[in-house]
Formats: sequence, C-alpha cells, structure tokens
Amino acid sequence: MTVLSVFESLEQGPIGTFVKDRGATFASIEAVHLLAFALLGGAVLASDLRLLNVVLRDVPSKTVTDNAYRWFTGALIVMLLTGFFMVSGIAVKCYHNFYFWVKMSALATGILFAYTIRKPLLSGDHSKLKPITLKLVALASISLWFIVAASGRWIGFS
Amino acid sequence: MFEKWVADFANWLAATDWSVGMHESFYLWNWLESTHVLSLMISLGMLAVIDLRMLGLWMTDVPASKVAARMGTPMFIGFSIMVITGILVFTAIPVRYTHSIWFRIKFILLFVAAINAFLFNRHMHRSVATWDTDKVPPRRTRIGAGLSLVLWVGIVVCGRFIAYDWYDCGKFTNAALLWATGCAYVPAN
Repeated sequence: MTVLSVFESLEQGPIGTFVKDRGATFASIEAVHLLAFALLGGAVLASDLRLLNVVLRDVPSKTVTDNAYRWFTGALIVMLLTGFFMVSGIAVKCYHNFYFWVKMSALATGILFAYTIRKPLLSGDHSKLKPITLKLVALASISLWFIVAASGRWIGFS
Repeated sequence: MFEKWVADFANWLAATDWSVGMHESFYLWNWLESTHVLSLMISLGMLAVIDLRMLGLWMTDVPASKVAARMGTPMFIGFSIMVITGILVFTAIPVRYTHSIWFRIKFILLFVAAINAFLFNRHMHRSVATWDTDKVPPRRTRIGAGLSLVLWVGIVVCGRFIAYDWYDCGKFTNAALLWATGCAYVPAN
C-alpha cells in the first residue's frame, strides 16, 4: 500500500464523496476552517505577542498563556477535523501539491512544539525563565503557525 | 439608479490600468488575497479575544477595559491591513465582485458590524467602571459582544463564498436574485 493509494481511497471513499458531491459542502467546511484559524490566530498572537512584550504588558504573561491554551486547543481540534474533511474531497490534488506537504510538515512541527516544548515550559513560573527563552519560544511559535497558514492558503493557488 | 451607478463605477474601475495590471499579474492578486486572509489572524483573532472577554469566557481574571484597550491596537492594525488589501483585491475584479450576492451581503454585514462596534464602545466607555472586574459582564455587554462575533462569522463566510461562482451573473434566472445582485444591468454570458 502506497501513500498515494491511501489518498486515492480517501477521495473515493464515503467522506471524500460527501465533501465533493456538492460544491457548497466543501465551501462551508472551508469557512469553518477559516473561522477556527482566526481563533487560533488570536490565541497564538495574544500569548506570543505578550511573551514578546508587545501587548498586555501590564498583565502577567502566565495569565495570558494559561488562558489562551484552552482556546488554542479548541480551535486546533476544529481545524484538524475540518481540514481532514477538506483533504478528503481533494486528496489526490493534495498528494501532488508541494505546499500541502509544507503545511503538513509545519503543522506536525507546530503541534509537537506547542505541546511538548511550549506548554511544559510555560506551565511553570515565567520569571524563572530567561527573557530570551520566552522570546525565542514566542518567535518560533508565531513563525510555525504563520507557515502553516500561508502554505495552507497557497495550496488553493497551485 | 443605484445599480446603474454601481455598474458604471465597476466598469470604469475595471478599465483602468491599475485594475487591468493587478488582474493580469501572475502573482500579485494571490499575494494580496493571501495577505487579506492571513491578517484575519490579527484582526478577527484579537477581536475574538476582546469579545470572548466581554462574554465572560476568556481572561476573566483581567479587567475587561484592559483587555479591550491592550488588544485594540493590534486589532486595528489587522483591520487596516484587511481594508487596504480588500480594496486592492476588489480593484482587480470590480465588475464580478459588485454583482456577487456574497460580496453584497458581506458589505451590509460590515456596515452593521461597524454600527455595533460604535454602539458597543459608547456603552462600554459609559458603564465599564461598574463592571470592569466582573468575571461575567452585564447582559447588554454580552449581547453586543455576541452580536459582534456572529456578524464577523457571517462576514468571513460571505468573504469565502465570494470565490465560488454559483451565483455569478448568467448562471441563474431567479428574479429576486437578479434584483439583489444587480445582474439585470450586465449582459448574461
């Protein structure tokens, strides 16, 4: 079984058929994906810009990051679900699309980074971390999610 | 009269070098549209933080006025990028957009969202001192914030649907839709 055959069977299967059957189905799922993306953007930017001392400087950074994780996780789950449905409808196109694989690589890195490095690091007392560490974590997080978003948009153009 | 004015304006804009250049550029439109969409992370993302605080769902341990004031600037920057790139994206394909039912609904929703934002700000400045530190703000504040989010959901959905040609002029004959899109003023193709 090749990766391509998995993508082919996904597109020809019941989910792929459901998504492709009517144009409005794909478009509606896409709109929900976009809304969740805006919410994820809010959670990422609010906490990372706080770590960079750009916004909410008079609010403890831990208050901001702790508050944002719940919304980040919620938005991510919606994006993963809607993203799976979207890919099912155009699976073979995605398989042959360079930017799809860029997005998937950045997404996997982003999720791993968020839950295995960023969250454990920021769950403790922020004052015990070096300011440069907090800033690097924020920059890495913003960059990763920007790549996920930008490459995702470019899938539609290529 | 209104439709004639809209059609004349769109046709005039479409004939300008500026519009033709953007429309025919291989990458420019893609870059503009991508910037328009990506800036949602800043504009709508920051707006979501503010509105969810006003609904008593996010950062409830931070005073509401502080969240609104601190997130307001990046939100405004995001909206400015969206408006500028939105106008440029529109300039590239004005005739199609002005006859898109989704574009027209989006425009109305944007107008209503602007009025709601104005009224919400006025209400907040007048009364915030009495509920600033409440975890869940008063009902009127929550209604304004909820309405703001609902309107923006509509704006994003309509914005996304503009890309689809389901109701482009010439693809339907429904009289109400012909009136609502102004398609009666352009030749069907």
